[in-house]
Parts: sequence; structure tokens; C-alpha cells
Amino acid sequence: MPRFHVYWIFTKKAFLRSAVYRFDVWSRLGSNLIFLLMWGSIWTALYAGREEAGGISFQAMLTYIVVSQFLTGVNGAGTPLWEIQEKVRTGDIALELMRPFNVPLRYLFADFGSVAFYIVTALIPIYAMLFIFMDFTLPTDVFTWAGFISAAFIGFLIRYCIEMAFGLLSFFLVETGGIEDIFYFAMSLLSGSVIPLWFFPEWLAKIAVYLPFQGIYYIPNAIFIGEIAGGEILLSLGLQIFWVLICYFLLRLVWNRASHKVVVQGG
Amino acid sequence: MAAIKYVNLYFKLVSAGVRAQMQYRFAFIMRIVGLITAYTGTAVTMWVMLYQFQVLGSWNFFEMLFLYAIAILSWGFCVILFLHFRSLDTYILNGTFDRFLVRPINPFFHFMAMKFDMASFGQFIFSLLIFIWVSLELHIEWSSGKVLFLLASIIGGILIQGGMLVLISAIAFWTTKSQQFYWVVMYPARNLTNYPLVIYPKIVQWIAAFVVPFGFVNYFPAAVILEKGTPFFPASIGYFSPLVGLVFFIIAYCVWMLGLSRYKSTGS
Repeated sequence: MPRFHVYWIFTKKAFLRSAVYRFDVWSRLGSNLIFLLMWGSIWTALYAGREEAGGISFQAMLTYIVVSQFLTGVNGAGTPLWEIQEKVRTGDIALELMRPFNVPLRYLFADFGSVAFYIVTALIPIYAMLFIFMDFTLPTDVFTWAGFISAAFIGFLIRYCIEMAFGLLSFFLVETGGIEDIFYFAMSLLSGSVIPLWFFPEWLAKIAVYLPFQGIYYIPNAIFIGEIAGGEILLSLGLQIFWVLICYFLLRLVWNRASHKVVVQGG
Repeated sequence: MAAIKYVNLYFKLVSAGVRAQMQYRFAFIMRIVGLITAYTGTAVTMWVMLYQFQVLGSWNFFEMLFLYAIAILSWGFCVILFLHFRSLDTYILNGTFDRFLVRPINPFFHFMAMKFDMASFGQFIFSLLIFIWVSLELHIEWSSGKVLFLLASIIGGILIQGGMLVLISAIAFWTTKSQQFYWVVMYPARNLTNYPLVIYPKIVQWIAAFVVPFGFVNYFPAAVILEKGTPFFPASIGYFSPLVGLVFFIIAYCVWMLGLSRYKSTGS
């Protein structure tokens, strides 16, 4: 059983550290909002004045994109992958391996801290304003809200495990090049972060349904706009939990293999 | 002639960098593969997006690909010539920028010639394949006039995006920050212009035409070649792309030189 109070300290430290780098927070928010403008405009143009397409109302679709962009902000606020890869490349990771904690968990808890800071000081104020002044669909019942928040949280864990497991592959492949690009492309498309799964060609939707990526954006977004409702919410959450367990197992596996095989490159 | 001397010097300086990069052949090939994959990924996303809807603001999939390919091609040249300008802040903070000031050549030129990223072949291969595919699909007849216009507007696009990188790096002379401005301003702006400008609010289109002239990189020239309308703008506005590029780049260069004259070493 991990001693969580140890990791909790990483959360607090990361929270305080984010408070120092305010410029980072604002610049990240700025680019998040530009991308929101981009995807909002794209979907407005795709609907081209129609009230609904494929059974989804225009209002619900715009809400989907706004929620998705909010979650993109949440998912992007942690320690960037390249920072960990850089530690592998320079050999600094050895220092972390020597310490008495689980390194993937330590980074996860640190991410909680920086993400919490970002949500409270930047995302919530801006997105709350958007929801107040624009005409988006808000869930009305507590059950949907609870479902959305849980789904978003589990989605965060899935994304973390997949991304970290992938980042650790650099223990084995010092040059990840093209694989990294395929990975990020698959994650952005198949997670439904910018195009919901119901607009996919049928064969692609079938593939996406059998992959863990949909748990990151598609499930929480669809719960939020009521496209996944009632008993289906529980079913989706169950599916997410299934995936988070698999992905965590995968991460542990990669991590154990990797930490036994640290090749500290000179320099 | 000073210009010829500088051209010779440029190739001498970059050839050293190229030889260094070719030492890591596997990494080099992997980066090209990576770039092509990343661009293909965006193209696939466009295809999925238009699978049900067919058009985005009256632009179909192939027209959007064409728009995208123009941006990628000029960006490829930009990466070779100017991309490293964004990390000027690192050079200033480490004190390594000072070595560009003690040599008997123009510091702007010297800094520009410092790096030559060969991986841009990824951009060239990708955009060329797209040009061929789209030309076949849309039956574009390439008269010599059209080819010349395309080349001129690509040069315009290089100058606009390069000018923007130079402007962003110049901020470092005042604030010792530039890399972050790249990620806040340039990266989102480049993504925005991958899609036809017509879909954005009027104010954004106006800014992209007259303030940060990214509209001239691909949207206006592509509209001329594909004979598509540009609402709110005269149809022939695309022809101004090279001129806009030249003016914008000269402004950027002057700002950079102004910043340089104010520059004081951090002394580290």
C-alpha cells in the first residue's frame, strides 16, 4: 500500500510551484482559448446554420467542443512528457529511481497539484463566464454532474497512464520519432477530442469503441451534453474503470522493465 | 558584391551543420517519418471531419488539403531559415548570444545561418505529394502563370511566417522571453490558418489580413488558384501576398535590429 501522505506533499509542492510561474498559466490559457475559437468556428461552419445534424443539435455540439477544450486544458496542465523524456536522456532519472517512492505515482500526484492550480485560477473563471454569457447546454440533475466529474477524472487517469507508459518507452527506444507522432494523432482523433465518435465513418467508430482513448474525452463530453444518459452513464464509467486498470497495469509493466534497464548514457 | 559574399558564407556555415546532422542518420530519418506522419494525421482529421458534412464554409476536402499543403511547404522553408529564432531567449540567458556580436558580419545574418534543419524534407515530401494528388483530383491546369504565382506566394508565405518568428525573437531583447510567445502566438495562429479563414468571425479574418498577415500565407493565394470567393475581401487580394511578405519581413528585421541596439548582455 503506497503511503499517500508522502505523495500528497508532491501535490502541495506542485500547486505552490505553479503559483510562481503565473506567466506560464496565462500563456497556456491564451492558446487554449485560441484553439477553442478555432474548433468553435469549425463546427459552426460545418453545421452551416442547420439546427441539427445526425441527431445532434447545434447547441449540444458546441457544448461538446467547449467541454472538450476545457478538458484539454486540464489534461495538458501536468508535467509535459518531454520533461520526463529529457530526464531519461540526460540520466537524471537515476536520481529519482534511488528515492523511496514510486516514480509514476509521484508524477501523478505532482500533476494533481499543478492541474488544480490551473483549474482554479484560470480554467474555471473563464469557462464559467462562457457558460454564463453563451447559450450552452448545462446538465440539470446532480446525477449527470456526478457522472461527468467522475468520467472526467477517470479519463485524466487513463490519459496519464497511457501517456506515461508511452513516454517510458523511450527507455528502450532512445529515438521515438514517428511512433510518437502516430501516438499523439491517434490520441487526438480516436479520443473524440475534436470530432465526436458519432460523426466518424462506421469502420473508424468501430475501431475507436474498442480502444481506451474514447474514455479520455468522448465519454465525459457525451455525458455532459446528455448523449450518454441514465444507466448508460454507469456502463460507460465501468468501461473507463476497466481501461484505467488495464492502462495502469501496462504502465507498471513498462515501468518495472524500464527501471531494471536504465542505461545511463554518459554526458 | 556583399550579397554574393553573404550567400557563399551562408552555405559554408550551414554545410557544417548539415554534416553534423548526417552523423545521426537513423534519428534523421525517424524525424522525417515523424513529420510526415504528423501532417498526415491532420489531413486524416480533416477527412473524418468532412466525411458527413462534405464542406467546410464551401471548401471541400481537396481544396482544404491544397490550402494546408501551401502552408506546410512555406513552413518547411521557414523551419530551415528561421525556426531557431524562437529560442533566442535561451542564447541570451546563457550568454552565448554574445558570440554573434563579436564577428565581422551582420549579427542577424550570422544568427540566421547558425542552424539548418534538414528534417524539413518531411515538409517538402508531404506538400509535394499533396500538390500532385490535389491537382489530379481537382483538375487544376498548371499554366506557367499559375506556377509562377504559386512560387511567388510561397516566397511571400516564407517571409510572413519568418517575419513573425523574427518579431517573436526580438521580444527577447526586451523581456528575455521568446520561446513562450512562439507557443502562445505563432503555434495557434499556424493551426488556425490550416482551415479556410472564411469560417472565423469577421474580426479574426480582419486581423489575419492586416495585423498578423497569416491570411496571405495560404488562404488568399489558394483562393486565387482555386478560384474561390473570399467574402469581405476583394478576390484579387491574393496577388499581394509577395508584397505583404516583403513589407512585413522588413518591418520585422527593423524591429529586431532596434532590439539588438538596446541589447545588453545578461553577463552570465
